[in-house]
Amino acid sequence: MISGYLARNGLEGRIIATIVLILAAGVAVPVSNLVLDPSHPLHVPTYIVALLGKYLTYALLALALDLVWGFCGILSLGHGAFFALGGYAMGMYLMRQIGTRGVYGNPVMPDFMVFLNWKELPWYWHGFDQFWFAMVMVALVPGMLAFVFGWFAFRSRVTGVYLSIITQAMTYALMLAFFRNDMGFGGNNGLTDFKDILGFDVQADTTRAALFAASAVALAIGVIITARITGSHFGKLMIASRDAESRTRFLGYRPEMVKLFAFTVSAVMAGVAGALYVPQVGIINPGEFAPANSIEVVVWTAVGGRGTIIGPIIGALLVNGGKSWFTGVLPEFWLFALGGLFVFVTLFLPKGIVGTLQDHIGRRREKRQAEKAEEAEAASAAEPTPVGAE
Amino acid sequence: MRLAGPLTFAVAIILSLAGVAHSQEKPLREIVNSFAEARNFNQTEEIVAELGATGDPAVVPVLRALSEGDLHVRKSDNQVFIVSGRGKTLTIIDPLTGEMVGEEGKRALSKIRVNNGLRRLIRDTIGGLALGSPDPAARLRAARTLISNPDASSLPAIEAALEKETDPEVAAGMMRARAAAILVSERPDAEKSEAITAVAAISTQDALSLLLGFRGQATGELREQVDRAIARVERVQSYWAMAQNVWYGLSLGSVLLLAAIGLAITFGVMGVINMAHGEMVMIGAYVTFVVQEIIRTSAPWLFDWSLAIALPLAFLTAGAIGYALERGIIRFLYGRPLETLLATWGVSLILQQAVRTIFGPTNREVGSPSWMSGAFEIGQLTITWNRLYIVLFALAVFAVLLFVLNRTSFGLQMRAVTQNRRMAAAMGIRTPRVDAMTFALGSGVAGLAGVALSQIDNVSPNLGQGYIIDSFMVVVFGGVGNLWGTFVGALTLGIANKFLEPYAGAVLGKILVLVFIILFIQKRPRGLFALKGRAVEA
Amino acid sequence: MVERAGTILYLDGVSVAFDGFKAIQNLSFVLKRGEMRAIIGPNGAGKTTMMDIVTGKTRPDEGDVYFNGTIDLTRHDEADIATLGIGRKFQKPTVFESLTVADNLSLALAAPRDVFSVLFARESSGRARRIDEILEIVRLGHRREHVAANLSHGQKQWLEIGMLLAQDPKLLLVDEPVAGMTDAETEETARLLREIAATHSVVVVEHDMHFVRELDVKVTCLHEGSVLSEGSLDHVSSDKRVIEVYLGR
Ligand SMILES: Nc1ncnc2c1ncn2[C@@H]1O[C@H](COP(=O)(O)OP(=O)(O)O)[C@@H](O)[C@H]1O
Ligand SMILES: [Mg+2]
Repeated sequence: MISGYLARNGLEGRIIATIVLILAAGVAVPVSNLVLDPSHPLHVPTYIVALLGKYLTYALLALALDLVWGFCGILSLGHGAFFALGGYAMGMYLMRQIGTRGVYGNPVMPDFMVFLNWKELPWYWHGFDQFWFAMVMVALVPGMLAFVFGWFAFRSRVTGVYLSIITQAMTYALMLAFFRNDMGFGGNNGLTDFKDILGFDVQADTTRAALFAASAVALAIGVIITARITGSHFGKLMIASRDAESRTRFLGYRPEMVKLFAFTVSAVMAGVAGALYVPQVGIINPGEFAPANSIEVVVWTAVGGRGTIIGPIIGALLVNGGKSWFTGVLPEFWLFALGGLFVFVTLFLPKGIVGTLQDHIGRRREKRQAEKAEEAEAASAAEPTPVGAE
Repeated sequence: MRLAGPLTFAVAIILSLAGVAHSQEKPLREIVNSFAEARNFNQTEEIVAELGATGDPAVVPVLRALSEGDLHVRKSDNQVFIVSGRGKTLTIIDPLTGEMVGEEGKRALSKIRVNNGLRRLIRDTIGGLALGSPDPAARLRAARTLISNPDASSLPAIEAALEKETDPEVAAGMMRARAAAILVSERPDAEKSEAITAVAAISTQDALSLLLGFRGQATGELREQVDRAIARVERVQSYWAMAQNVWYGLSLGSVLLLAAIGLAITFGVMGVINMAHGEMVMIGAYVTFVVQEIIRTSAPWLFDWSLAIALPLAFLTAGAIGYALERGIIRFLYGRPLETLLATWGVSLILQQAVRTIFGPTNREVGSPSWMSGAFEIGQLTITWNRLYIVLFALAVFAVLLFVLNRTSFGLQMRAVTQNRRMAAAMGIRTPRVDAMTFALGSGVAGLAGVALSQIDNVSPNLGQGYIIDSFMVVVFGGVGNLWGTFVGALTLGIANKFLEPYAGAVLGKILVLVFIILFIQKRPRGLFALKGRAVEA
Repeated sequence: MVERAGTILYLDGVSVAFDGFKAIQNLSFVLKRGEMRAIIGPNGAGKTTMMDIVTGKTRPDEGDVYFNGTIDLTRHDEADIATLGIGRKFQKPTVFESLTVADNLSLALAAPRDVFSVLFARESSGRARRIDEILEIVRLGHRREHVAANLSHGQKQWLEIGMLLAQDPKLLLVDEPVAGMTDAETEETARLLREIAATHSVVVVEHDMHFVRELDVKVTCLHEGSVLSEGSLDHVSSDKRVIEVYLGR
C-alpha cells in the first residue's frame, strides 16, 4: 500500500525499499519488545530499543547532512548545532513537564533556575509547557538559524573550506554560549531528569517503543523528502550548483538560494532528529554542540556514501553500532578505529559503501549497454538509461 | 652604617631586577645573630641601625619582632629567632625566612630587651629603611615602599634623607614619599595641597587609595583639588589598564600566531586545512616533556637549557610526522580539500589517542627554566617573563618564516605553487616535493609552538584541540598566501579578545569574536589579505 | 556617439583595471539588434573580460553598459542579466559534468528560475520535445542520457551552445566556440551560428580566421582593452596596426 503510493510519486525502487524497511523496523522492534516474552529469542530488550532509537535519530541527522554535503557540496561542520538546538527545544518541553516533581518542587521553574536563585522563568522559556509549541520550535529554531546563517554566508559566496570552518565556528560559539549558566539552559549540566512526555513516563517500555516508532517514521519521512527534493528538477539544479556554481548564475539561477533552501530544510531535519534523540537518551547538554560531534556525523555520511540517500543511513547505523561495540570491548581503541575509518574512507572509499556499490553496478550495466549499442550502431539514439544519475 | 658591603646591594639589585624573589642571607643573618652579643641598649641600637642600613626589606619582620619583644636568643648556640605562642614551649621561627624551625622550651631562650628609645629608633628605621643607604637603587626602593605604606612618623627621616640626596631620580622618589606621608600627617593645608599634586603625579593604585582616603577628611579647596587629582589618577589608571590589555592581547595574539602560522602556510600553499595541526602543537609540548624528563633523571644541571634542547627536537619530530602525513595520505587527496580536512581529522584522533595511550590522559608537568619565571614591571604594567619570551619567540619564528618564504629558493618555489600550481609545475618545480616540505615545515612550526605553549598551558592530549579552532579563525580572518595576514589576524584577534573580556567576560568575549569573524567572512570571503586574480576564482 | 536606441548592446567609455593593470581601456562597442559580430584580437586583449563585464561577472570601473538600449547592466548581477536575455558560452567549456546531457539542457531551458518554481517544476512533454530538438541541432541525440563529463572537448562546446539555444536569449556571447574542433566541426559550428544569428543578436570571439571568414560578418579587433579596428574582415585584416599586433607580418 505504502510502496504503491510512493511509486506513484515517482520514487526509485531502492528508495521505496529503504522506506519500507525502516517502517517495518519501526513496527517490528517495538512489537517484539512489548509483546514477546523476555525469554523469547526474538525479544528485543528495552535498552536495545532505546539504543536503536538513538541510532535512527543519528541516521536522520546524517541524512540531513547528506542533503547539503552530498547534493550541494556544502560540507557543514556544524550540523550538530541544529541537532542540539532541536534537542534543547524538546528538552525545554520535558523540563517544563517535570512540574513540582523536581528536587525543589517549584511548579514553574526547573531545578537549575531555582538553584541559581532566579526569581522568574526567562521569557524564552514561556510556551514550552505546550507540546505543540515545543514542536514548532524544534523546527523553527534550527531552521531560522540555518536560514540567517546561510543567507549571509551563501550570498557572500563563502564556499569550500571557508564555509566549513565558519560552520564549525558557529557550533563552537553556541557550545561556549550554552555552557554559560546565565544563558538559562542549565549550563554545564544541560537539561535532564525528565519525567514524562505527553503524560507518559519517559522510562516506560511502551514510551520507549513509541519513541522508537516515531524515530522510524521521522526517518522515513526524511528519506521521502530528501528523495523528492533531489529527484526533482531542483535536485539537478543542486548538483549543478555544487559542481559549477558560477555557471548556474549565467543561466539565470541563484545558487545561493538553492543552497539556502537545502541548508534550511536540512537544519530542520537535524532539529527533528535532535528532538527525538533527547527523550530517548534522557539528557541534552552543551557537549552536543562540540565541533567533534559534528565532524563525526560527516564520517557516518562519508562511510555510507554521500549523495546516495541510503548511504548516510547505513553509515550512521554501522559506525554507531561499531562505536557501541568498541566502547564495550576495547574502549581505548575506539578513537583509533574512528580515526582510521576517516582516513580509510577518504583514501579508499571516497564514494562510501553505497556509492561504490552503485558505481560497480552502474559500470556493469554500462558495459552491457555499450555492447548493445555497438550492435545497434552508434548513430541511432540509444534508449534512455539512467546511468550514473544520482 | 658602612658595614653592609656594596656587593650585597649589587647582588640584591640584580636579583630583584631579574624578578627573582631572593635575598642574600648570609651577612644579614650574621647581623641578626649579633643581637646575641649585645650587652646593653646602645649596642642593640647599633645593630638596629646596621640592619636598617642594609635596605633589605627582609629585616623588617626582625625589627618588628624586636620592637614587640618577640625576638629571642637560643642560649645553646646564640642563634636569634622570632618566637610565637605562650606557655612553657614556644614556636621558634627563622627571623629572615619566616619559616617555622621547631619548638623550644622557654628556659632555653632569652629575650632581647628593648626600651622606648629603641622602639622609636626601630620605627624610624623601618620607615626610613635604607633611605640613607649608600646605594641609590636601594634608597629609591625604600622611597617606593614608603609611598605604598605612608606613615606620618617617617616624615622626619624622609626629609632628612631628602636633604642629603644627590641623585635626582631618587630625590624625586623621596619627594613623592614625603608627599604621601604628608597626606596622612598633621601638616598645614598648604603643604598638603602641594602633596596632593605630587601624589597625583604618581598615579598608581596606591596613590589613588591614598587620595581617596584623604578625600574623606579634606574640606573646601583642598577637597576640590583632591577630587580633580582623583579624576586625573583614574584617567591615567585607565590608560595603564588599556596598556595592560594591549599587552595581554599581544601575548594571546603571539600564542595564536605561533599556533596558526604553520596552518596558514600549509593552507596557503596546498589549499588544505590540516585538522591535525593542533596535534602537532601537542606533540611539540610532549617533546618538551620528554626532554625535561630525561634531563631530570640524568642531567639536572641542564634544566635551564631544556627548552633550547626541546625546540629543534620538537621541530624535527612534528616536522617528520607532518612529512609522513603528507606522503602517506594527503598527496592522494590532492584537489579534494574537504576530504583532506576529514582525513587529517582522522589522523588527529589517532595522534591524540596514541599520546593518551603512551603518556596517560592526565596533565603532564612541564617545568619552566629559572630564566622564564617571575615578572617585572614597567610603570604600572606587570609583565611576566614567560609571556615576554613567548611574544619574542613568536616574533622570531615569524621573522624566520618570512625570511624563508621571501628570500630562499624553497620559499620562492612555495610562493610559486601558492599562486599557480600548474604553472609552477610546468616550469619544472617539483610540486610534490614542495608540498611535502611545506607540510613538514608547517608541522614543524606547530611543534615549535608546542614547546612555547608547554610553558603556559596544561600539557595533555587535548592541548591541540584548545587551539585549533582559534587557529582556523586566525587563518580565515587573515587570509592566505601572505604571512602578514596571519600576523595581523593573530594580533587583532588576540587584542580584540582581551579588550572584550573585561566587558563581556572571557566566554562571551570569545563568542563575540567568533560571531565577528563569521560576519567578517561575509564581507571578505577570502580574509584580510586575500590572493587576487583569476586563478583564485576558478 | 551612436544612438542607444536600436542597439542590443551598448558599451561606451568602459574601463576596468585589476590591481592597476588596465584590462579594458575606454572601450566603446555597439551591437545593433539582430546583428552578429566577430571579435578578434591577440591573447590578453580583453575579449573575455569584455564578456565578463556584459554578463555582470566583472564590474567596470567606469563607463556605460546598456542592454536593449535601456537597461543599465552595471546595476544587475549575473543571474539578473541572464534572465534579462543574455546567454554566454565560456571560453573553457563549462557544463555540469555529473549531469546527463539532457539534464544540462533541461536546466538551461527557459523557465522561471526562482527556488520554488524550480522545486515544483514538472517534466512536461513540451520540455522533452524542445530538448530533443536541440539535441538534434547540436548533434548530441545519441548521447542524451550520457553524463556530460564523458563528452569530448568539442562535444562539450556544442553542448554549451545547445544550452545557449535552450536558454533562448536575445543576445548570445560566444567565447572561442571552435577551440579543439576539427575543420569539419568548425564549419558546422559556423553554419550553426549563422543560423542562430538569423533570429538572435550574437557576439562571437574567435581566433580562428578561417572560422571568422565563414561567419562572414562585421569584425572588431581588440587590442590592449580597446578597439583597434572595426569593419569587414578584409578591411580589418588589411589594417596595418592589426597586422602588427595580431595577424603577424
Ligand atoms: N579577474 C582578473 N584578475 C586579474 N586579471 C585579470 C582578471 N581577468 C582578466 N584579467 C587580465 O586581463 C587581461 C585580459 O584578459 P582576457 O579578457 O581573458 O583576454 P582575452 O582577450 O585573451 O580573452 C589579461 O591580461 C588577464 O590576465
Ligand atoms: Mg579569452
